[in-house]
Amino acid sequence: MTSAPGAPPVLSVRNLSVTFTGSGRDVPAVRDISFDVHAGEVLGIVGESGSGKSVTSLAITGLLPPTARVSGSIRVGKVEVTTADAETLRHMRGREVGMIFQDPTTTLNPVLPIGRQVIEGQVSHGFVAASEAPARAAALLREVDIPDPDARIGQYPHQFSGGMRQRAVIAMAMAGQKRLIIADEPTTALDVTVQAQVLAVLAKRQAETGAAVILITHDLGVVAETADRVAVMYGGRIVETGTVREIFAAPRHPYTVGLLQSLPRLDVVADRLVPIPGQPPTPARLPPGCAFRPRCPIGRDRPLCAAEDPALHAEAGRATACHFPDEIPTLLGAPLPPRAAATPKPAAATLPAPLLEVEKLQVHFPIRTGLLRRQTGTVRAVDGVSLSVRPGETLGLVGESGCGKTTTGRAIMGLIRATGGSIRFGGDEVTTMDPAALRRTRRNMQYIFQDPYASLNPIKTVGDIVAEPLRIHGLFEDAGGMKRVAELFELVGLSRTMLGRYPAEFSGGQKQRIGIARALALAPKLLILDEPVAALDVSIQAQVVNLLQDLQKELGLAYLFIAHDLSVVRHICNRVAVMYLGRIVEQADRDTLYEQPAHPYTQSLLSAVPVPDPARRGHTGRIVLQGDIPSPAKPPSGCPFHPRCFRAEARCSTEIPAFRDLATQPTRAACHFAAPRLPEQAA
Amino acid sequence: MTGYILRRLIQLIPVLFLASIGIWAMVYAVPGSPIGAIVGENATQEQIADAMQRLGLNRPLHEQYWSWLTGALVGDFGQSIQSREPVLHLIMARVPATLQLGLFSILVGLLLGVPVAIISALFPNTWIDRVLSAWSALALGVPTFWLGILLILFFGVQLRWLPAVSTYVPFFEDPLGALRNILLPALTLGTYVSGIFARFLRASLLGELKADYVRTARSKGLPERDVVGRHVMRNALLPFVTIVGLMLAAFVGGTVVTEAVFTYPGIGRLLIQAIGVRDYPLIQGCILFVLVIYVLMNVLVDVLYAYIDPRIEYR
Repeated sequence: MTSAPGAPPVLSVRNLSVTFTGSGRDVPAVRDISFDVHAGEVLGIVGESGSGKSVTSLAITGLLPPTARVSGSIRVGKVEVTTADAETLRHMRGREVGMIFQDPTTTLNPVLPIGRQVIEGQVSHGFVAASEAPARAAALLREVDIPDPDARIGQYPHQFSGGMRQRAVIAMAMAGQKRLIIADEPTTALDVTVQAQVLAVLAKRQAETGAAVILITHDLGVVAETADRVAVMYGGRIVETGTVREIFAAPRHPYTVGLLQSLPRLDVVADRLVPIPGQPPTPARLPPGCAFRPRCPIGRDRPLCAAEDPALHAEAGRATACHFPDEIPTLLGAPLPPRAAATPKPAAATLPAPLLEVEKLQVHFPIRTGLLRRQTGTVRAVDGVSLSVRPGETLGLVGESGCGKTTTGRAIMGLIRATGGSIRFGGDEVTTMDPAALRRTRRNMQYIFQDPYASLNPIKTVGDIVAEPLRIHGLFEDAGGMKRVAELFELVGLSRTMLGRYPAEFSGGQKQRIGIARALALAPKLLILDEPVAALDVSIQAQVVNLLQDLQKELGLAYLFIAHDLSVVRHICNRVAVMYLGRIVEQADRDTLYEQPAHPYTQSLLSAVPVPDPARRGHTGRIVLQGDIPSPAKPPSGCPFHPRCFRAEARCSTEIPAFRDLATQPTRAACHFAAPRLPEQAA
Repeated sequence: MTGYILRRLIQLIPVLFLASIGIWAMVYAVPGSPIGAIVGENATQEQIADAMQRLGLNRPLHEQYWSWLTGALVGDFGQSIQSREPVLHLIMARVPATLQLGLFSILVGLLLGVPVAIISALFPNTWIDRVLSAWSALALGVPTFWLGILLILFFGVQLRWLPAVSTYVPFFEDPLGALRNILLPALTLGTYVSGIFARFLRASLLGELKADYVRTARSKGLPERDVVGRHVMRNALLPFVTIVGLMLAAFVGGTVVTEAVFTYPGIGRLLIQAIGVRDYPLIQGCILFVLVIYVLMNVLVDVLYAYIDPRIEYR
């Protein structure tokens, strides 16, 4: 569905610069970028926070705030966006350009019905008569595979699941044969199986309409699977462009190399990630010369790189902005070996006794309704979870949002009351402890939260934040006071000179290090890590993952690692448990679970992870799950996964499968038909 | 929904019970006895004892409270010591006047405040925003008695367009006469609340204008009036409804100062008069009435919330 050769591009950007002038001094967010997008093509724009990728998308649609100063040229069809008046831009947005944003929870208006939001743009531009609007809205929802669209148009966003919301946003963006679709991190807020659904719908609608698509993302896997061409942005500039295969097979900019190397992958072995050192620059504080120089293995000490920002050299369809492109291949090193088959694990007799043992843990929340607040139902958030963590090992707990993994972690920590089952820590039962004993035990378990921004009190200095657990337990003086806090700072790779600063002065990665230092203050034996790297940029994520691995080795810590990112889990965990709807459906050592997943849900999850290797695009093994995770208030009868399972038979809807050891491999699974995928399915 | 309202009303019972103890006891806790006011300063011991006997003031406190409470439950708040009329009658006679003033004041406040908020929020930190913000601060800061006196002097005394003393004329009997009488006090109170409304709604609008769904609405190519009118306004109204409801409750509960300035026959003046002569049953009745208005208005606001916000489900 590519346009005829020689046809003018749908979008043409030339020498675009965007500078924000609001804060008293000029902040260059986008600096001199040029690119084209043609009909039927997907251009992937890759970059970390602050790289200017989202500002670029707002500039194209003319939605920048008034404090932005734009220079250069943006042509969408016949419209020159940089000089057009507001009314022309408004018509362009309604007719030519559709936008898909990151978080469908906030991008839809909570108080207006979905149908109206999907169609109102078309009505406003006179393409659809008001009388036909409901029917058109329903038709649009049907095109993005939303079941029962006639009833759905009257519902509100909170009545849709996350995946359905994002599909509704796609329907809205593509309404009326738009020629250009800009998708800004369209799947970042979604679970991996839902991401697969949404990307499939996006690809289907693009094929039907022949629209040009700009896909802005930090996820190299998504880019590898969907983009035709790629532009890599750093510090407000495009530093490299090329076809998707070229970029992944032979990157020509040290930043691209760094990104690819810092990514944990499902398909290759690496004992240690290779992070890019330092932080991405903020637009307000760009280093002189090449913006990447302070982090660059080639240019770090070269005067030319510090003095002069390299121009983007184009050559045979590829371009790179580096003074020393010939040296790039030396960075690549030997290709990483593909993963070998699972090696047998040492016999169980040599393993130490578990530090944490959870058995048949239940966390049920009552649903109360009516005048007298009678309990009319139960949300089975956690419904019979058993797991164990040994000293010095990492157990991964994976699953999609709403599966109960965070509730499990919080119940173990005692932040939520368990309604059943047992939790033993170091052999002692936690659920029945008196408050004083519980306090002592809790010292040995610490919790690290997902959001490093929200989990640090903004009005305390970071030194006080890290010292707080010591003070609460009355150990501050005994532990050595601020000297101990300074040691903790150095342990997590921060300077002790930062003790007196406030959280707002730190970047996301540094804040997460502060969170880790706070958790380590009481010298715990177990850390419960709840999505500790999910909010971080790829290059920073690798730094924190490496830090966690180093700390584990150095201090002999045990980790319960709660995450949805299967690649990170494969990299860091020894054993993995997969949760679905409050239950563990499969548990095995890491390699067995990833090489020979036995439960259909694990198989679907693994197949849905985008692989950052465009050569493997279109591998036929993807299982796209239908529907959404059911509500834990009304779990399906029998096996909770059976309504979405490709292997389900009549028995699955009546009989709950036992969580049992499999005869064929060292795996425990709760499935009547647990077995590795057949070769024709695995493809 | 009906179940929700019923439950909320039932939840009010303990609130009102506790408050009734406070209101009843407060009167006995302050120095000075109602007896002095009834029998006069030169009364003899017998006259005092006689009055105490007659009013039941010599019974144990819990008995006094109990009989007051059981009476209050069936609408009997006792007799006014001053006028010998039932307290309930006195209050009910003033309710229409206070209600009319309260509603008109809120209306004036909305008419003055909402446009100011919208213009301020659409052009934040511009000269027009600064001028309007200064105006709201002024409206809020000027004491109502002073503004009231100023309005009376100008429109009532100088120009003689409007009566300087406002009496209650029922709106549905004589709309023009009602407007003539209510305009100045409503303008006084309305100016004051318009400052509150403008500041509150401006902040709420500015917060909503930064929301992601606004960017989505603009990306659809909607004209700005639809972006603000359809998308932003409804969300911004959610917190605003609370403040309007509370102010309405405050005005309906009686506006002591303004009613005094305009000698308007509302609940506020009734309360002031009652306090002046230590008419304890009347004071208790007035305060309880104000309290009931407040809590009922809160329930009303919560119900309105559900009407505006589909995410709120009342079960």
